[in-house]
Amino acid sequence: MWRILHILAIAAVIFSAAYVYSVKYQAIYASEQVVKTRHAIAKERDAINVLRAEYAHLIRPDRLQALADKLLDTQPLALNQIVKAGDLPLPAAKVDSIGRKLEALGLGQSATPSAGVTGATPALR
Amino acid sequence: MSESPEPRLLSGSAATPPPSRPSLLLRLKAFLGVLVSTRLDKSGGRIRQLALILCLAYAGIGAKLVKLGLSSEPPQTLKVAADQAASGARPDLLDRNGQVLATDVRTLSVFAEPRRIIDKDEAVELITAVLPDVDAKELRERLSSKKGFVWVKRQVTPKEQQEIFHLGLPGVGFVPENKRVYPNGPIGAHVIGFVDKDNIGIAGMEKYLDQQSLTDPHVAGFTVDPDSLKPVRLSLDLKATHALRDELEAGLEKYQAKAGAGAIIDVNTGEIIALESLPDYDPNDPPDMTKESSKDKINRVNVGVYEMGSTFKAISISMALDSGKVNLGSRIDARDSLRYGRFTIHDFHATHRVLTVPEVFTHSSNIGTARMALMVGVQGHQAFLRKMGQLDRLRTELPESAEPLVPKRWTELNTMTIAFGQGLNVAPIQALMAVAALVNGGHMIVPTFLTRSEADAMASSHRVVSEQTSESMRYLMRSNATHGSASFANIEGYYVGGKTGTADKIIHGHYSQDKVFTTFMAITPADKPKYLYMVLYDQPQAVAGDGGYHTAAHNAGRVAGLLIRRVQPLEGVPPASQFPTQPFPLLAKLGYGFDADKVGKE
Repeated sequence: MWRILHILAIAAVIFSAAYVYSVKYQAIYASEQVVKTRHAIAKERDAINVLRAEYAHLIRPDRLQALADKLLDTQPLALNQIVKAGDLPLPAAKVDSIGRKLEALGLGQSATPSAGVTGATPALR
Repeated sequence: MSESPEPRLLSGSAATPPPSRPSLLLRLKAFLGVLVSTRLDKSGGRIRQLALILCLAYAGIGAKLVKLGLSSEPPQTLKVAADQAASGARPDLLDRNGQVLATDVRTLSVFAEPRRIIDKDEAVELITAVLPDVDAKELRERLSSKKGFVWVKRQVTPKEQQEIFHLGLPGVGFVPENKRVYPNGPIGAHVIGFVDKDNIGIAGMEKYLDQQSLTDPHVAGFTVDPDSLKPVRLSLDLKATHALRDELEAGLEKYQAKAGAGAIIDVNTGEIIALESLPDYDPNDPPDMTKESSKDKINRVNVGVYEMGSTFKAISISMALDSGKVNLGSRIDARDSLRYGRFTIHDFHATHRVLTVPEVFTHSSNIGTARMALMVGVQGHQAFLRKMGQLDRLRTELPESAEPLVPKRWTELNTMTIAFGQGLNVAPIQALMAVAALVNGGHMIVPTFLTRSEADAMASSHRVVSEQTSESMRYLMRSNATHGSASFANIEGYYVGGKTGTADKIIHGHYSQDKVFTTFMAITPADKPKYLYMVLYDQPQAVAGDGGYHTAAHNAGRVAGLLIRRVQPLEGVPPASQFPTQPFPLLAKLGYGFDADKVGKE
């Protein structure tokens, strides 16, 4: 009886040791992965930094100005081209010029039904 | 036959195996039987054996400890040495809109451990073959030293790194380092400053950062985690700074000037929006400022001291107005030159009549200004200039600053000449600060190169002139733009006010007639100023079509006009379609300044 118990105990020890061993190696592997990922992140971060610096270098105002002078046929902005949104003139009221013409010809109401009746596109204003 | 499964310890036990070959199962059973036997008479031997094994193990550990303790070489020296030598991380510098002004880029540097290099001559030969710019003799010297760590070359290119790596030299390795890069080159260089090979700031805001001990990684003996560094936001606007540099440079060429400088300040917060001084340098390849040839690359706005010429009249007239000795309606006699002892003060644009205060300003009358300063007196003049920060060194975040040149003996004559801008040399940024205070309602705000809110600026400011005096100055500057010397900068839609200043340069102890130092100050909008522009040129020449004039209006004034036209929209200020209805309410109550445009009309 005792022997069997001892055998069981030893087997349990061996199995648990093997299990702990494998868990330990899994942990080591995982921490290696963490370190690797950290390195990869740091590398990516450095790469992002380099790209940011490069981007800033490429969009530096003097370079853009030189390129614009060379490649674009636009003029520098004049002050009278700057207008506040509120100062823009309102669009002129829509005029139904064909309808007027017809009216002038005396064909107005009778020949063409009014826009409201037919449900044609209503005037904006 | 001799393969007894029993351990020596258990010899003579009852479980003697039969002489014939036992089956595997039986042998295993017998082995396990002894292994798990719990008979007391067997325990003594086991315990002794266990103790012996433990003793041996501890002796082994002890021996290893003694060996480690005796070894002279501390482990990990290389890592420590590399960390101490490698450039630390620095925070990024951003402009007020978040554009990158300075940032760190990771590069690799080649180092060597002289003690581990086997054949030094071979190493030197191979390394110099790959890195031709490394001096062979110097490298051999470095490699022969007793140090554990020496640099071979800092910040190599990836290609060089690859080639060194393929040499396969023992004792040669790489350390990642931070290299500071300035993507915008010379734009704003004088404010940003630069760093040395070890990433330690030695000029401009870079040095300021180190002085704040935000960055120095080597002092405390630990390296700064680059992620923990927050970017530092400067008050500069990259686009406005570029515009300033571009216009200044064009002007420098057009007027054949020796040097030029300029600045834009937000008068309500004291933030410097742009600052440039030409000639300048690329901080990626900084000049050796100790050399004579680099002397002209100084920051003229902060370090140069100059006689500011007529721009100082703004200070003198505001002093007279603020003292109550004169008001805008007072009349000043400028009929004849002003004699003092053997000196005579003339007007450049002589009018030979009695002038009102606004006329003194718009005609830039030396005589009128000198008379007004005399009304206040030497004591009052000195006290006012001190209050305006013109007599003491102005310290900003920038480590570069200059002591103004104040006359040792200050007589009435000094007061007269200083009143119109001769005899007192100040740094242009001091004059900028004073004029900003005169037009922003009378609040003296120390200029800053970091972002600052209006509330913070107001909290740290103090009043130097009254609200009414400030409004009078705005009115005077506005009238000078419409009818005086500042008309070149009167850009429609921005209600500009301005003041020119042309100072004769002192050459060999005498004021030179043809070598001048010109300044221009402009405010926009004059009724409620937001920005103050300053442009200055050293020894500009007259250009064709200017009638031989090299005075400030024709060079600095013109450049300021171009600058306002360009920078105001950049700062999000559209041109106003009409004039403000009541630009100067306090003056209107007193009966002056209904129309700035009327001033100066004869």
